[in-house]
Amino acid sequence: MPKRRFNLFQFLLNNSTIVLFITVFVLFGLTSPRLVIEGIGLEFPRFWLPENMLNIIKQAAVFAGIIGVGMTFVLLTAGIDLSVGSNMYLSVVCAGLLMRSSGLEIIPALLVSIVVGTLFGAFNALCIVRLKIIPFMTTLATLVIGRGLGTALTESRQIDFPERMNAFGQTLLLGFIPMPIVVFGLVVLAAWFILTRTPFGRQVYAVGNDIEAAKKAGINTDRTLVLVYIISGFCAGLAGFILASQLGGRVDRSFGETREFDAIAAAVLGGTSLFGGVGNVFGTVIGALLIQMVGTGLQFNLVNLYLQPLVRALIIFLAIFFDSLREANLQKLKRRFIRPVESSGTTVPQPARME
Amino acid sequence: MDQGNLTHPWSTTQRLTIEGCTVSTVNDRLSQLQSLTRRKKSHSASSSTATQMIRKLLLSDYFVLYLTLILFMSAAVFFPTLGTPGNIANQLQNMWPLLAVAIGQTFVLILGGIDLSLGATMGFTSVVGAIVMAQNLDPAFFDKSPLWGTLMRPEGGLLAGSALAVPVGVLVMLIVGTSIGFLNGYAITRFKMAPFMVTLVTSTFFAGFALWLTQSRNISGLPEAFIELGKGDIVSVYLGPKLTPDIARRDILQFITYPFVIAVGLAILAQFLLSKTVFGRQMFSIGTNRVTSDISGLPSQSVIIRVYMFSGFCAAVASILYSARLAIGQPSLGGGNLLLDIIGAAVIGGTSLFGGKGSVRGTFFGVAFFVLLLNILNAMRLDPFVIDAVKGGFILLAALVDVTRTRLMNREQRA
Amino acid sequence: MTPLLELHDLTKAFFGVAAVKGVSLHVNAGETLGLIGQNGAGKSTLMNLVGGVVHPDSGRLLLKGNPYHPRTPADAQQSGIAFIHQELNLFTNLTIAENIFISDFPRGGFPGTFNRAKIKQQTRELLNAVGLDIAPETPLDRISPGERQLVEIARALHQDAALIIFDEPTTSLTARETERLFTIMDQLTAQGKGIIYISHILGDVRKLADRIAVMRDGELVALEAADNFPISRMISLMVGRSIEQLYPPRTSAPTNKSLLEVRGVRTAGIVENISFQLKAGEVLGLFGLMGSGRTELARMIFGMDPFDSGSILVEGEPLHKPSPRASIRSKIAFVTENRREEGLLMSIDIANNISLVSLPEFASNLIQMVDQQQMHEAAQETATILQLKSGDIRQQPVKALSGGNQQKVVIAKWLLSRPSIFIMDEPTRGIDVGAKYEIYSIIDQLAANGSGVLIISSELEELTGMCDRILVMSQGEVVGEFDRAAFNRERILSAAFREHNPEQPVSG
Repeated sequence: MPKRRFNLFQFLLNNSTIVLFITVFVLFGLTSPRLVIEGIGLEFPRFWLPENMLNIIKQAAVFAGIIGVGMTFVLLTAGIDLSVGSNMYLSVVCAGLLMRSSGLEIIPALLVSIVVGTLFGAFNALCIVRLKIIPFMTTLATLVIGRGLGTALTESRQIDFPERMNAFGQTLLLGFIPMPIVVFGLVVLAAWFILTRTPFGRQVYAVGNDIEAAKKAGINTDRTLVLVYIISGFCAGLAGFILASQLGGRVDRSFGETREFDAIAAAVLGGTSLFGGVGNVFGTVIGALLIQMVGTGLQFNLVNLYLQPLVRALIIFLAIFFDSLREANLQKLKRRFIRPVESSGTTVPQPARME
Repeated sequence: MDQGNLTHPWSTTQRLTIEGCTVSTVNDRLSQLQSLTRRKKSHSASSSTATQMIRKLLLSDYFVLYLTLILFMSAAVFFPTLGTPGNIANQLQNMWPLLAVAIGQTFVLILGGIDLSLGATMGFTSVVGAIVMAQNLDPAFFDKSPLWGTLMRPEGGLLAGSALAVPVGVLVMLIVGTSIGFLNGYAITRFKMAPFMVTLVTSTFFAGFALWLTQSRNISGLPEAFIELGKGDIVSVYLGPKLTPDIARRDILQFITYPFVIAVGLAILAQFLLSKTVFGRQMFSIGTNRVTSDISGLPSQSVIIRVYMFSGFCAAVASILYSARLAIGQPSLGGGNLLLDIIGAAVIGGTSLFGGKGSVRGTFFGVAFFVLLLNILNAMRLDPFVIDAVKGGFILLAALVDVTRTRLMNREQRA
Repeated sequence: MTPLLELHDLTKAFFGVAAVKGVSLHVNAGETLGLIGQNGAGKSTLMNLVGGVVHPDSGRLLLKGNPYHPRTPADAQQSGIAFIHQELNLFTNLTIAENIFISDFPRGGFPGTFNRAKIKQQTRELLNAVGLDIAPETPLDRISPGERQLVEIARALHQDAALIIFDEPTTSLTARETERLFTIMDQLTAQGKGIIYISHILGDVRKLADRIAVMRDGELVALEAADNFPISRMISLMVGRSIEQLYPPRTSAPTNKSLLEVRGVRTAGIVENISFQLKAGEVLGLFGLMGSGRTELARMIFGMDPFDSGSILVEGEPLHKPSPRASIRSKIAFVTENRREEGLLMSIDIANNISLVSLPEFASNLIQMVDQQQMHEAAQETATILQLKSGDIRQQPVKALSGGNQQKVVIAKWLLSRPSIFIMDEPTRGIDVGAKYEIYSIIDQLAANGSGVLIISSELEELTGMCDRILVMSQGEVVGEFDRAAFNRERILSAAFREHNPEQPVSG
């Protein structure tokens, strides 16, 4: 067996999401309409233009990125938060109603949205930690409750934010970076910092690895769990407001619907396990970008609107398919080696002395 | 074949020899065990009868049924319309399709999996069925559909007007639903992908597919014979509509409808599969512990695939009942909060999301409870969105009751 | 001198059943107290009282002479009591340093952070103290079970534990790792720490402990100096009567008929050139230290893991496409070493556990409907033969049974499928002395009835007591073969400890 081919396969598998990311990037670039650069006669794919790239990052941030980061915290503890889409809606409805009725300014309204989102997360945490209802049931129920409350508050009508909301959404920092990208960047950095540099972050990993062991080790697991759902709620409140600003300040009944699935998909594409303990925020960023790139790329290639969800489903399927291959491969490598492997030609992995 | 031989050939030759070497600890421990049980009895007798009653009620298999009945009777006091035959018949009609699809979810949950694609399967099969059966299709709506000009024509679907339209349409719906289940099961077993992700993807895919085929429109013009499946009460169909001019037969026997027969038939079949067959036992075993099941030689992969196929089949049955009742092929049939209703009904009925626990009977009660709850909320004339919120709250409550029940049960077992 | 920990008349009952009855004892600083007893004798409850997991109904605890009321495990930890469990309390997705500091990270310079340099430095010192030369930032899943145990001890040291409780710490360790652990334990007592050592391996307890406490039925039945405490007396105190014989007499001898033949089985990096035969009526032992490849080999024979080359023959017929199902069809049964996770459905009733393998046989062919009556009768009959002590087998879940009875359910499960070849991996692990004897009797009876039994064990005693022949594995190879007449403890052990050597295997 040629050694190099084996390694290449390994490498591709271990980085399947990035490989998929690059493949999609290249494919859409090659197939997208071209921009002819005057004078030189060179053609450049419009898909690869910097403003399009910025646009993809911006949309990834508001659609799946920010809530994906919150979801990563929850998934790391082996939980799940299905309520983020409804939470986004309810939070932004509260902020919007206040803006319209009492003329709240942007920043206070943003704070309202975040506070409502955080309280929503706290309610999830209460049910999960105090009442011991499993996360799936809790958040499935609050998904319905949240949307019901939001729709009842608006009497099922669309909310039109004041014009300043739209202006806020179009804010550019340093003259060219759209505001959502900056917010997303800050959220990602903060999450990375919390997860890797603070005791709480490391305890999140510990709880996801083995909650019983975490209790015995003296970790306040209840506090850890409460905090991750609050963080997820915080991200939902924030993302809801930013998304509303991107949609021109119009929020209708379907706002944020099924966003939770994009958030979960982004995290899982980024290598976060649904079973807890494994994952990181940068993976989630890649996952969110991949999902958005597929969406934007399909629009660029003028693919029938109806086909877009189908292609997206296929891409996500491919990603989790590669993930399962990788997992199977990992299991094989994890077999405990007892004796040196002799001259069989295959690469010898470091004897993993697994339990 | 000699039955004794079949059950235990080993024993006949060996019993004597093994019993020969008795170990003296046996008696010691037996007496110890007996003293333990005796003490336990005296202990439980001392606790008050009232708490025991509550505990017994909570632990009963029929707990949800009692709850439903109590809720019904207390609500009927405030809303007299609730108890009228008309309303009951109407509510039962609401119940049957939900029951059909909830049974499928119950199977998957017992196995330790989850099927998020049931709603999408319902929508997709609804559309497919309509494409086979519809009698005319408006070009203004459908001429952008990829099937326009082939399977979908202005004069209708594939078998428009044919006598075979309804049987073939129904069959195709069942086959399509079962096939989606097969896809799920195959991906889950063959590639060891997480059921949550697989069914999420198939859900997105088939929901999108249904919208694409129909360009987001509902397909109307379904044959009368099919629509009859959604409402026809069997008695009036086969014995004539009226008993006497004064008393409508429909008022007496109106519960016995096609959906009733189909859903209850499915429930009986499911209950039979679950409790009486090798397949059912193996489902519980795999849901309880996959590793033990594999080592014990259970055909886990085939059982899992069959369960997802059955789940898809149930979704198709529900889709038939809903589509017939609405008289349209609706791509968004299983959308909205249906997932919550399905999982909620199963969980209220005592099915565990961790696998290895659940029953069709429980799900039946869960569905009844759910439908009644919705009926009461409607009777209160609440805003539909408030109803959603309240419904979510009730599911949380039900889950809480289940947590308490499980805790009590574990305590009982330990003692 | 004030004892480190004193228990005075401790009593704890669960639902009216006393688990610990009036136990008084103490542990001194610098002392190792051995604690032995059968499963269910109350050792764990007693330790859970000390560790704050459960709370006493009456009696009191004193720590260094002061009243001590731990309400939670965290309380006990803060008071200086550390637990080293059989299942380690560590996180495989974190580094060694993070594992040690997970509940009390030192503060770092930036608000909210922890001091990474400091935990690295301190971890290095702690690892030095337990004789482990590994970088502090090594992820835990890169180190062996023995090394993980040492990490856990390092954590106890970090928490400045005055008393460390070891609960069966050696079950997953290799012989060398066990030796290292014992050395560290000696060092700990020399530094003035108190140790409570719980184990079923009585020889180890006797070697390590200064005094030994024996519990039976929740009571303390003996507390004596280890020096003059023969193992035979420990056993009789544990069971409450004397057991002259630990092993039943073998009632039959092997025949010449080969049931199972393993021919040149090899998997790169795991096993090399394994060949042996199992005869009808034979009890064959497979001895090896942890990590010698015994369990891996058993899994390959049963078709759970693939192998690269070689073949497995049942009654002369080679097995094609090995899988558990194929093996079961060829009349092979596999009692795995981990009965909770691989042998049983813990929450399901006994009858359904017993019928798990052979369920299709109780069903009609067409619709696969189970004849419940027949199934229960067969399950009941097997349970009776094996003298299973249980309630109604249709009601009682397996988790409510003792370890020995659970193992009987596993054996019953296989018996119903009428196998002729039994592979038993550590069949008596975690089972108390009385029940062990019963399991041995069953094994003897199986052989007497013409089955072949392959027992894998790390307890050499049990193999020499039960087997007709013993194969010794080391580093994935069979390095020795001994017939019953030539059983010799020293020679078997020296074969097992032998470094890899491609020469001819020693034989007896």
